[in-house]
Amino acid sequence: MNMLADTKKRAEMVFDKHKVLISLLLLAFLVLLPLISNKSYVMGVMCRILMYATLAGALNIINGYSGQTCLGVAGFFCFGAYTEAILATKVGLNFWLCIPLAGVITALVGLLVAWPTLKMSGIYLAIVTLGFSEIARLLALNATPLTGGALGIKNIPVPEFFGIVIKNSRSYYYLFLVLAIVFIFVSNRVIKSKIGRAWMSIREDELASKSLGVNASVYKAFNFMYGAFWIGVVGCVYAPYVRFIDSTYFTLDEGWNILSMVILGGQGTFIGPVIGSIIVNFLTEVLRPIGQWRLVAFALLIIIMMWYRPQGLAGATDSKLAGNKMVKKLQDRGKKHD
Amino acid sequence: MIETLKQPVLSTDHICMYFGGLHAVEDVSLNIQKGDIYGIIGPNGAGKTTLFNACTGFNVPTKGKVFLCGEDITNLKPEQIAKKGMARTFQNIKLFKYMSVLDNIKIGFHLNLKSNLVDTVLHTKQFKADETYAIEKGREILDLVGLSKYTDTKAGNLPYGVQRKVEIARALAINPKILLLDEPAAGMNPNETQELSVYILKINSLGYTVGVIEHDMKFVMNTCNRIIVLNFGQQICEGTPHVIKTNQNVREAYFGKGIVAGGAINVAAEN
Amino acid sequence: MEYFLNQLINGLCQGAIYALMAIGYSVVVGVVGMVTFTHGEVMIMGAFASYYVFQYCGTNLILGFIVAFLASWVMGIFVYKVCYERFFNSPRHISLLCTIGFSMLVKNLAQIFFGPNQIPMLNIVDIKFFHIGAMQISSLQIMIIALVVGLALALNYVFYHTKFGVMLRSVSQDKTAAYMVGINVKRIAMLGNCVGCGLGGIAGLLICIYYQVVQATMGGALGMKAFSASVLGGLTDVRFSALGGLCIGIVENLGITVTSASYRDVFAFGFLILVLVFKPTGFVKKRGTKV
Repeated sequence: MNMLADTKKRAEMVFDKHKVLISLLLLAFLVLLPLISNKSYVMGVMCRILMYATLAGALNIINGYSGQTCLGVAGFFCFGAYTEAILATKVGLNFWLCIPLAGVITALVGLLVAWPTLKMSGIYLAIVTLGFSEIARLLALNATPLTGGALGIKNIPVPEFFGIVIKNSRSYYYLFLVLAIVFIFVSNRVIKSKIGRAWMSIREDELASKSLGVNASVYKAFNFMYGAFWIGVVGCVYAPYVRFIDSTYFTLDEGWNILSMVILGGQGTFIGPVIGSIIVNFLTEVLRPIGQWRLVAFALLIIIMMWYRPQGLAGATDSKLAGNKMVKKLQDRGKKHD
Repeated sequence: MIETLKQPVLSTDHICMYFGGLHAVEDVSLNIQKGDIYGIIGPNGAGKTTLFNACTGFNVPTKGKVFLCGEDITNLKPEQIAKKGMARTFQNIKLFKYMSVLDNIKIGFHLNLKSNLVDTVLHTKQFKADETYAIEKGREILDLVGLSKYTDTKAGNLPYGVQRKVEIARALAINPKILLLDEPAAGMNPNETQELSVYILKINSLGYTVGVIEHDMKFVMNTCNRIIVLNFGQQICEGTPHVIKTNQNVREAYFGKGIVAGGAINVAAEN
Repeated sequence: MEYFLNQLINGLCQGAIYALMAIGYSVVVGVVGMVTFTHGEVMIMGAFASYYVFQYCGTNLILGFIVAFLASWVMGIFVYKVCYERFFNSPRHISLLCTIGFSMLVKNLAQIFFGPNQIPMLNIVDIKFFHIGAMQISSLQIMIIALVVGLALALNYVFYHTKFGVMLRSVSQDKTAAYMVGINVKRIAMLGNCVGCGLGGIAGLLICIYYQVVQATMGGALGMKAFSASVLGGLTDVRFSALGGLCIGIVENLGITVTSASYRDVFAFGFLILVLVFKPTGFVKKRGTKV
């Protein structure tokens, strides 16, 4: 693992020195990619990578930055997608208006989910989110008048952008790209502020942060809502992309899929979920021939990651997410007088 | 006495803290005046930390009340009490060990920063002012207490004694009316303890009122101007260091009735 | 009315199985000190082991229970070594995620090797029906309730009247203190974990016998129900966890008469939310302040 740390350090040094240049190059590459390779398969994979990067990123805001554990991403994804699908097909609402609506509705649902367990240990939140995820799926499956039940919702209208119809993989690629960039830009600003610092202080030591005046319950709830908002927004963009959704798209397995991107790629950093999305989606494609063994491979990777690098490949080494090695040494010293 | 006419910064009114059948704190009424360095001492298990927890909202008192500058804070939550102006440190140092010293202090400014989500996303003037305030004020505090050279060091990498000072400096960031320190000298060698005493006296000279739980007698006698002694959750004596040193009950609490009666304690009382 | 009473009996029987699941779960969480997601998979592995024993060695019920207990015991050893042993001094979320990974591993391996479909459980028990007035109870239900009560009593005896039980309880209360009085904490934690898993194995087999079906994907929902039941006991108190299991069983069976069978799993979740809202810490014997 030392080699990994060294490589990472060297990469970080290079990146820091030429931050602007590298970012511009990356951006240029991403923007020009569809012109280089217009194969719809490649575009499809890129769409998935970008979409999941945002989903994993939003989950990372919850799991990685505030130390809470959300296991029910699929439920929020479901809410976002169905909100758009219902509003677009039944009310005819414009796609662009659906985006903030889906986000806000999902955020409110997030508040409802997080609220009962705010003052309790994190494991209860984890279980509640798990249960919520299944409830969301069951609701989608059974609330037939609203959600189409087992038949789902089809013919979701494609969005238009100043006359350009966003219908094929290439135009969706740009949509997902813009979404990812906006998400990272906004979230970066939120993290590097009083709000982000409050979240991280709660993660590192909730009692200490309370003693400094941080209202932990409010900030944890807000963190949860913030993550849920973005997951809802992604769901909203996802619905017209696939043009047909039903409850089978939002199973627990989908949730584990997104969670494993955060776990493998890294928690507590911005690059972590992106790398996680790339790795998991890449492996999904490459390992397709071996069928279900692919999931076995992911499970093994998660276990290995927890054993050797709990914060994930590109995760925040400087945090509790990486385990307790530094903390324990000092606690022992303070206990001498007891 | 003139002191009792002034409103105490922190006072408890017959406060009790019971855990089921265990009376951890029994009927303690103390007054900490502005400018005091107030020591809370007593044998292990006397209820000192529990008393702190009861005052700072980490435990809800079973009976009695706690007042901060005359305001009843008995049932408030820790973050509300911090907002009212009472800061505390913990027995095992609760620094954010993976953050730099300056970042630790910045969290202390949480209550003072006024930007909301919109300000943050749009980087409005308010946001920029807040961030500048946090950095500048943070450096100021570190200068004031003499920790500037550690500004960007990761808190967990610091020597133990310095970590404690940083924890105290962080508590100062909330601009407290009173600062409660829970066994700040725990785990320190005599040199570090002496430095800590100087540090606390300096902070006191800057105008901060301090309450200290400690075991180290030398430290307490040299640093505090008033002391309360707890034993089995009850207060057995309150007063200046001299009063405490010569009090019969205090000696019995520490040394046992037998030894005190035997008169073998005079040597110890001189320290 | 008769229908209601019969559903009540069904609920009692099912509740007994859930109670056993919850007992096993709370023993594991109590002794090891970490919350786990693997209990569902452990239970189903016990059931599968017995299923294959039934296939090849005849349908001896007692043998089935022993095999289920042992298979889950062994599975418990694996879970312990992979997910708990290494993480005693780490933040809790790490072991939690590890158990999630482990349960994913077992679930998918099970689907690969046993197939993802429902497999009919062989008819093990000759079901006779008894009628008490308008109520109807089957010999299977009586056996299940009797077995669970018996196991609960046996566990109670072990916990409170044996040296091993004392060690289990002390490890669950304070590992450092247990270590200091000479208890091999890691070994006891593992054994406690295995006992809980073994009981889970029996519970898994009972569920499969009751529903006459065994399926590799059953673990998830069962694990959720074990957790939901245990919340009543603060995840660690065996008696209230068992009570929670009973409650869920009854509520479930009465609930699906009012709604529909597809909402069965929702009731456990509803119970969980109810407990979290009204008694979040559950009914636990106080252990003193833990920060």
